Amino acid sequence: MHIVREVTDHLYWIGVNDHRLALFENIHPIPEGVSYNSYLLKGEKNVLFDTVDWEACRQMMENIEYVLDGEDLDYIVINHWEPDHAASLQVVLEAYPNAKIIGNQKGFQLAEQFGFKIDEDKKIVVNEGDVVEVGDHSLTFLFMPMVHWPEAMVTLDLTNGALFSADAFGSFKALDGKLFNDEVDYDREWIDENRRYLTNIVGKYGPHIRKILKKAAPLLDQIKFICPLHGLVWRSDFGYLLDKYEHWANYEPEQKGVVICYASMYGNTEQAAQALASKLCELGVENVEVFDVSNTHVSYLISEVFKNSHLVLASCTYNLGIFPVMKNFLEDMKALNVQNREVAVIENGSWAIRSGDLISEFLDDEMKQMTVLNDRITIASHLKEGQEEELDELAKTIKDSLRA
Amino acid sequence: MFRCSEEHEQLRAEIREFAENEIKPYAFQWDRENHFPRDVVEKMARKGWLGIPYPKEYGGMGKDVLSYSIAVEELSRVDGGTGVILSAHVSLGSWPIFAFGTEEQKKKYLTPLAKGEKIGAFGLTEPNAGSDAGGTETTAVLEGDHYILNGEKIFITNGGEADTYVVFAVTTPNIGTKGISAFIVEKGMEGFTIGDHYDKLGIRSSATAQLLFDDVKVPKENLLGKEGEGFKIAMATLDGGRIGIASQALGIAQGAFESAKNYTLDRVQFGKPVAFQQGLSFKLADMATQIRAARMLVYSAAELKEKHEPYGMEAAMAKQYASDTAVKVTEEAIQCYGGNGYLKGMDVERMYRDAKITQIYEGTNEIMRVVISSYLLGKPPKKEKSAGAMPTKAAKNITGPRKKVIYKKGSAQERVDALVENLKADGYDFTVGIAMDTPITKAERVVSAGKGIGPKENMSLIEDLAKACGAAIGSSRPVAETLQYVPIDRYVGMSGQKFNGNLYIACGISGAVQHLKGITNASTIVAINKNPNAPIFKNCDYGIVGDVNEILPLLSKALDTGEKQPAPPMKKIKRATPKKEKPDYTIMVCDGCGYEYDPMVGDEANGIPAGTPFEKLPEDWVCPECSEIKANFEKA
Repeated sequence: MHIVREVTDHLYWIGVNDHRLALFENIHPIPEGVSYNSYLLKGEKNVLFDTVDWEACRQMMENIEYVLDGEDLDYIVINHWEPDHAASLQVVLEAYPNAKIIGNQKGFQLAEQFGFKIDEDKKIVVNEGDVVEVGDHSLTFLFMPMVHWPEAMVTLDLTNGALFSADAFGSFKALDGKLFNDEVDYDREWIDENRRYLTNIVGKYGPHIRKILKKAAPLLDQIKFICPLHGLVWRSDFGYLLDKYEHWANYEPEQKGVVICYASMYGNTEQAAQALASKLCELGVENVEVFDVSNTHVSYLISEVFKNSHLVLASCTYNLGIFPVMKNFLEDMKALNVQNREVAVIENGSWAIRSGDLISEFLDDEMKQMTVLNDRITIASHLKEGQEEELDELAKTIKDSLRA
Repeated sequence: MFRCSEEHEQLRAEIREFAENEIKPYAFQWDRENHFPRDVVEKMARKGWLGIPYPKEYGGMGKDVLSYSIAVEELSRVDGGTGVILSAHVSLGSWPIFAFGTEEQKKKYLTPLAKGEKIGAFGLTEPNAGSDAGGTETTAVLEGDHYILNGEKIFITNGGEADTYVVFAVTTPNIGTKGISAFIVEKGMEGFTIGDHYDKLGIRSSATAQLLFDDVKVPKENLLGKEGEGFKIAMATLDGGRIGIASQALGIAQGAFESAKNYTLDRVQFGKPVAFQQGLSFKLADMATQIRAARMLVYSAAELKEKHEPYGMEAAMAKQYASDTAVKVTEEAIQCYGGNGYLKGMDVERMYRDAKITQIYEGTNEIMRVVISSYLLGKPPKKEKSAGAMPTKAAKNITGPRKKVIYKKGSAQERVDALVENLKADGYDFTVGIAMDTPITKAERVVSAGKGIGPKENMSLIEDLAKACGAAIGSSRPVAETLQYVPIDRYVGMSGQKFNGNLYIACGISGAVQHLKGITNASTIVAINKNPNAPIFKNCDYGIVGDVNEILPLLSKALDTGEKQPAPPMKKIKRATPKKEKPDYTIMVCDGCGYEYDPMVGDEANGIPAGTPFEKLPEDWVCPECSEIKANFEKA
């Protein structure tokens, strides 16, 4: 049975929702699922834009067959060769051997590496800015290196204004029937999963996102639909989305807020985190969130850090080092280029308290523009009543720093 | 050459007579009054001595380097200060134009210098660039037909008195000495001002001042040599300058020796002139020996230079030895005088003070040994590469990390309101206050006046503000010492009083290093100054760019709460952690793989040393991870 929705005249979403996959890229949990979006343009020539993950191939094939309604497929545009989109290409080619494939040089090189068998005479290699006529539609291409792969590009249908944006503007979360951004309360239901997707998948490549946004800016008034490879199709309120991207790509927090992340073996460090949270809220600080690093997947922590201006890292010492889950969080922040945040440190230890120094050093030496606030709370095993003043001081320092 | 020629001795006699008549009688007074003897310099100019070693076609006397050396020696023999006026003018101010200038530059600038119609000076030293000129922070940015200069120079001989300055500034940042260029800057160019005049231990008849550059437009054609040649020009100039300083030191030693000899022949104890006491006769023998050795070193370096032989090492040897001799001989000269030599008015007392600087300037004697040993030994073997071999970052703020929130935009009222709001949020309570005459070291708050305050009647603005925010009154050194607007114990600085309290409001203070060192303990530093490039703004928490005449009354009004309650015992306000700033170099990221090229790390595996900026990478350099070409890199 086909599951198809119309994007606009003659353009169909033929993607697939996936709720069975536990870990996206085999690393990020997706409790709300994900969609693999593929689009089919039906006209003088029939054009497929990207495909889906191998798991979702069967549904997509049924969708294609339904939309083509007996006609042949003329072109396949592959914007992004990552297997969650390109894996089903071989099956499509077997069913529609006449289709020509439009991609760029780097893309075809990856195709080769992944083992796709594509006849040379079926390849149409495009350069940036080329215009390719496909029947009554004209397509043009902008390259988007390192968002988040080197070959990635976007395709703009100059005829109907649909921008096939590859992983840009994509999101976790299955569509489950919805297709357009205006069919949901995006800021309530979607933005968190959108942020978690973007920051964890493309977070490192802020400079490259900025580059494509700059490149695309002159075309903005020609764009009527943004059709990403995951998540909803945008047909309104582009400003909202672009504003979010500006923040993420420039590593600017979306809001003033404090994310308290603790790594605690027996609850003593956790207690300090909770005590600080309570002090902050008492001072009227808004947007205070507390996370246990040991049982919160790091992708959620990364997302929170991108969103908020301030971070508190509370960690016990372990083997004379930083508690491993906290260390992993730090490494992940570094890998994803997290920068330009203000951080307070709480350390705990029972004989040699090392985690505070090590965390501060990591923030200073390994990451960019991470300001470590002067006040650090040091806990020898368990926070003492007499340390309340230190907590008050730290809470006040954080509050002052939020003001600046 | 073991003896000077007739011609040289004739010149020496002529200058000695001039010095004895025109300088010696007044040297004590000039020393006491810090007086620059402009009339004497003009007389020397008329005699042609300000251009001794330059060709006649450029207005010089066409004499040799040795003649110049003798001239400096003879002037210094009676007054070390006058000696350095000539040395700085000839060796430092004029020579770089003679050696590196275009024909037009020589005609326009060297000729009046050599004729003595204009005085020259040389601006290299900065607060963070002393022996290490690579630390130069003054910048020159090319905009159209002009370079825009910003920054400061310190300890500049003839500063303020000179008309023509050879100034060094960075045209290509972050590549060290190769990014420095030389410029000819004229007195009176807009934005070029003279800052502090230094109150020195010796050579007090010479002028030494700070030079300030605030968006100074220097015509493109005033670039001396090519861009990036500044360091080379500076080093070559200093090589020659050392002959001048060595001559000065020699002259000081000679003068002190003669004075000591005459005195000891005159002074009788135990029935005979003390010169014939073995203790002193031996001293005189040693002094004369050292002076002769110094003279040989100096003259031979001068001769090498004249003959265009390599002379850098010999000039450094001469400068080092002659200056050490000057210090030793002047010290012994006082010893020969006994108690009388310890009194003001005695020439040996002045010479003793004058001598010391010769061991320090135009390269300290420690640097002289670096220079000499580098000639002897060549470059040291390359260091094993280590992770720690990164180029050092620019010097940190003198006052430590600061917030540096600067209000430039908006109306004066808006800027003042923003400042007051932040101060209150920081925990300052303006309903309480301390007495205006609270000692600086004990004061919780101080409102301080700098030279930018203007005429003395403007001190009422400072008093009003101090009253309105419940603070004591302080000042920069010149305001207390030179202008005498406030008593001397009110000046804040390394050499004055140190401020240990919470709030320091600097009004019209540009922020000389010694002043900033006096306020490092302040919890909050507020700067009000009309010059946005004043160093104080890099050292403050809050700054308002604006005229004190406009800002201070508004600020007073905003803080005025009527009669202040007495302040409770001071509680030190904690300093906020300032936000970590972006580094001033650019990291580039690869379009092919996301690899980041960090100039502080370089690409050792491919022979690119740490400290290489991206744009200096070879054209055929490719990404070490994915072989993407250089063009496909993006600013991170």
